[in-house]
Amino acid sequence: MMRITLNPLTLRKLQRFRSLRRGYWSFIFLLGAFFLSLCAELVVNKRALIVYYEGEYFFPSYGAQIPGDHFGLGYSYETNYRELKRVFHQRAEGNWLLLPPVPYDPYEMDYRAADSTGFSPPNWESRHLLGTDKTERDVLARLVYGFRITFAFALGYLFLTYLLAILAGSVLGYFGGKVDMFGLRLVEVWSNVPFLYMVIILVSVMPGWWGLTWQISSLLLIMVLFSWTGMTYYVRSAIYKEKAKDYVAAAQVIGAGSGRIILRHLLPNVISTLVTFAPFTVAAAISSITALDFLGYGLPAPTPSWGELLKQGVNNLRTAPWIVSSAAGALVLTLTLVTFVGEAIREAFDPKKFSTYQ
Amino acid sequence: MNSTKKINLHILTLLSFFFLSAFAGCEDNTLKRPEPGNPGSQPKETARTMGEADREYIRELAREFAQELRKEIGSSVGDVKADQPSKEKTFTEFSGLLDESGNPHPLLAHCSDTVLDFYLKHKDAFQISSINQLPKDLRWEDGSKENEFSSPDAKRGGTWKTFMSDFPRTLRTIGPDANGAFRRYLLDYNGVGLVMTHPNSDGYYPGLAERWALGEDGRTVYFQLDGDARYSDGQPVRASDFFFTFYFMRSKHLQAPWYNDFYGKDKFLKVTLFNKNTLSITYHSAKPDLVERISIRSIPEHFYDELGGDYLKKYQWVQEPTTGPYVVRKEDIKKGQSVTLTRLSNWWADQKKFYRNRYNPDRIMAQVIRDPSKAFEVFLKGDLDMFSLSKTDYWYEKLPDTHQLVSDGYLTKVTFFNQVPPPSYALRINSSKPPFDDLNIRIGFQHSMNFDLVLQKIFRGDFERMRTVADGYGKRSHPTLQARKFSVDLATKFFAKAGYRDRGKDGILINDAGKRLSVELLTGYKHLEDVLVVLREEAKKAGLDLKLKILESTAAFKTASEKNHQVVFSAFSSFVELFPRFWEPYHSDNAYSPSGKEKFTTDGTLRSDIVVKTSTNNFTQTAVLEIDQLIDQYRMEENLKGITSLAHQLSKLIHDHAVYVPGWKKPWLRMGHWNWVAFPEDWGPRETRDYAEFQVFWIDEDKKLLIDDARKNGRKLDAQFGVRVYEKHRINL
Repeated sequence: MMRITLNPLTLRKLQRFRSLRRGYWSFIFLLGAFFLSLCAELVVNKRALIVYYEGEYFFPSYGAQIPGDHFGLGYSYETNYRELKRVFHQRAEGNWLLLPPVPYDPYEMDYRAADSTGFSPPNWESRHLLGTDKTERDVLARLVYGFRITFAFALGYLFLTYLLAILAGSVLGYFGGKVDMFGLRLVEVWSNVPFLYMVIILVSVMPGWWGLTWQISSLLLIMVLFSWTGMTYYVRSAIYKEKAKDYVAAAQVIGAGSGRIILRHLLPNVISTLVTFAPFTVAAAISSITALDFLGYGLPAPTPSWGELLKQGVNNLRTAPWIVSSAAGALVLTLTLVTFVGEAIREAFDPKKFSTYQ
Repeated sequence: MNSTKKINLHILTLLSFFFLSAFAGCEDNTLKRPEPGNPGSQPKETARTMGEADREYIRELAREFAQELRKEIGSSVGDVKADQPSKEKTFTEFSGLLDESGNPHPLLAHCSDTVLDFYLKHKDAFQISSINQLPKDLRWEDGSKENEFSSPDAKRGGTWKTFMSDFPRTLRTIGPDANGAFRRYLLDYNGVGLVMTHPNSDGYYPGLAERWALGEDGRTVYFQLDGDARYSDGQPVRASDFFFTFYFMRSKHLQAPWYNDFYGKDKFLKVTLFNKNTLSITYHSAKPDLVERISIRSIPEHFYDELGGDYLKKYQWVQEPTTGPYVVRKEDIKKGQSVTLTRLSNWWADQKKFYRNRYNPDRIMAQVIRDPSKAFEVFLKGDLDMFSLSKTDYWYEKLPDTHQLVSDGYLTKVTFFNQVPPPSYALRINSSKPPFDDLNIRIGFQHSMNFDLVLQKIFRGDFERMRTVADGYGKRSHPTLQARKFSVDLATKFFAKAGYRDRGKDGILINDAGKRLSVELLTGYKHLEDVLVVLREEAKKAGLDLKLKILESTAAFKTASEKNHQVVFSAFSSFVELFPRFWEPYHSDNAYSPSGKEKFTTDGTLRSDIVVKTSTNNFTQTAVLEIDQLIDQYRMEENLKGITSLAHQLSKLIHDHAVYVPGWKKPWLRMGHWNWVAFPEDWGPRETRDYAEFQVFWIDEDKKLLIDDARKNGRKLDAQFGVRVYEKHRINL
């Protein structure tokens, strides 16, 4: 992307942001949580972290799965490490393994106990810290992996909508005239395509043989495609405002091309407007993907997702209150933090504080 | 065990070869009534064509004229007779649709020219005979040996409050959108057919016909109409209405190809009227369950104008006059909110055996509640009288036996063991799509599906595994066949035979070409997602990757009927009938064009240039010459023993073909009801599939007042019946 040199004004804005403690720490916390979720396999996973078996060390967390035969369990599918731990313990042959703090993955059903038929309440013994859902999947595992997907989705959404909006907005704003006139009409028409219906239709025709990544990416693309228009108006008007200033005229006189003027001169001055919107866009993305999942048009089952958890929770309000409270709690917490960040950015970038009037 | 069953009225229901959304525990109701006052008369008049009205008018004029003439001229014109007396005479005197001078037979005097033309065009199929030609040695039956299945304690009155998940899109019972959940209140649970199948025995009881007799040829049934039979608009049911039924059902304007076909001339060969109460219908083959197959319903000819292109629009929100007790009055249709049905005060069958003490509530109010969980909360509040608890979580978690409403004696939970062919919950493998064109993959797939775990965990051991493609048909079901069991070893063995030998990094099998063993599983049942999730996780153990595609149910059905699926998880509702159907789901004519044997080469394999046939129920794309031949034979077979043996052979062949992974069946229905709803001592008939089906319950209004009062004051009631199990019809396997 373009290089943005931090001018003193921007630096002051960032300092101001850092001084707004609530927003700043929310930001750090969110970022930390996201990076932590990227290595969730080490914290919440059915695979062991380290296995010591007959003099050999194994690190199953990442990479190919190790069949049960390998550890003498007598089956060709993936080792159940919790079971393996019990077996090691019983045999006491000096083999050992280390399980992650939450020894479940978001897909696996823990039907171990004879009476486990779903909806086990939170339990420290079994390490189901937030209980299980309808098919005995660990709620915490689904929350964590769901957060990873949701947040990555929201960031991708942010990036792509801004890319499109900046592209369209700066072309409209910079060239103005007929380009603006017709372009803006197109944007208006496009923005009136009912977003939810389009998503529902397109999701239902998505072929199932696409891998999960493909399905999520195409869902992302569809959502971006029908929601970038909102930001275009802001970019366009900001560009309009900026391009009337003398420095743009000066650049034109020197002979700079349109591309250079937009990228090097205009955008850095416009970007602060956009940055203030970013956290709210992230919040919007999180809510829409959750809402779509809730309605059943989001991520394909059985992908861990907050919307799906919420749906289960709402359907079983009385019988399994831990599901809805976990999912709703996580959602509220995340959205609140994002909003704190947003408010802090808005305040830090408030033009009333920094604008210089000539 | 479960032998003769019935279609009767449900001839219509047959159409409901669409996905069951059953399970969800939603009972939808919609009701309509005709115009208040003189229902039906208005549509009738406006509906009549000019031609018909003119003819009536001219006839009337001629009559008057003749009388005048006779009066004035006296005996010299004595042989000029009015229409009426001559009609009486011709009843016995002439056969055929027209007399010598070209006038219609008196039984058809009211028919419009178009309808008459239709009958004339198909003279072989529509005949009028003299009553003298009725075979003399008929053995009439009238169901008098059968027992009633209602309770003499039943009380009339009250409003039955129920719900539907969507507002009905039409009050028609035929044509686009008519096949919705509300139709049961208009037709399936309401209308009366010629003869009804008895839900507690293998016999029949009278409907519109008070007597019936099987003809000598085994393909004809004679009916004697009940002289009291009336439509809800007061018009009598005429014998000629059974002519009109075919005119109506074969009309293109209905936009109902299924009905066009079902009532097709290749199935119903002939209808003969003998007099205004007697008729016979001839079917194309002598099936053992002929009486129920042939017991069609009557379409009120007087109600339908000439059927035209405007049929759908014109009758969209008008209820056809019904022979049943409930009608929808115009003012009771609250669009988007509710429809209420009202019981006719003078229903013709009100006091007849088999009908008395049924259809007890005065009103049936069906309100729209879109979300089943919300409907359940409404039920707990007491604003719905009954609720299906067939779903495991409703039975165990949402309304446990210890729930206060149950223990305090307000609510009763019922488990009723019934005997009906179960809806066929199963995975259907599209054998035309790779990798499923390989039998080894199909068998491996069968062994990778851990239905036992599903039954044990998701359904708490309450359901049974379905065994074959045709469970629940008594002796017609294969006696020993079992569904293939989950087994990682067997599955991987068969997958290896098909070339999938090694496991990839993620544990999924790959073949030599590096292709992963990954297939898409389609379904329209969002509410059964857990089942698929369990199957998916377990299939991983066998090295099979299942990609779930869960669509909205109509979209899923469409995808499957276009044969664009690899595997589809679906269920067809099964009709209570004597023997299963194989042609629709397994004959090659429903898989590929061209039809018949042309699609096979001389050595019995499929030709390469055949075209996939869409919009059929052959979801497995089964096209096997041997199966085809047996099905053809099965369809022709008229002897019950032969049918049984062929059904067994077919079940076995399809089992070996391994395209159908049997799911589960539940041997009971479960429901909950407020204690102001009362049921007969044995709760209901053996063949009950839905608590509302036979309408034997009643609303006890005194008890309702009592319960309401108790709830207000927090008093407990006698709770000895809190949880009840009716095992009279339980089959111990």
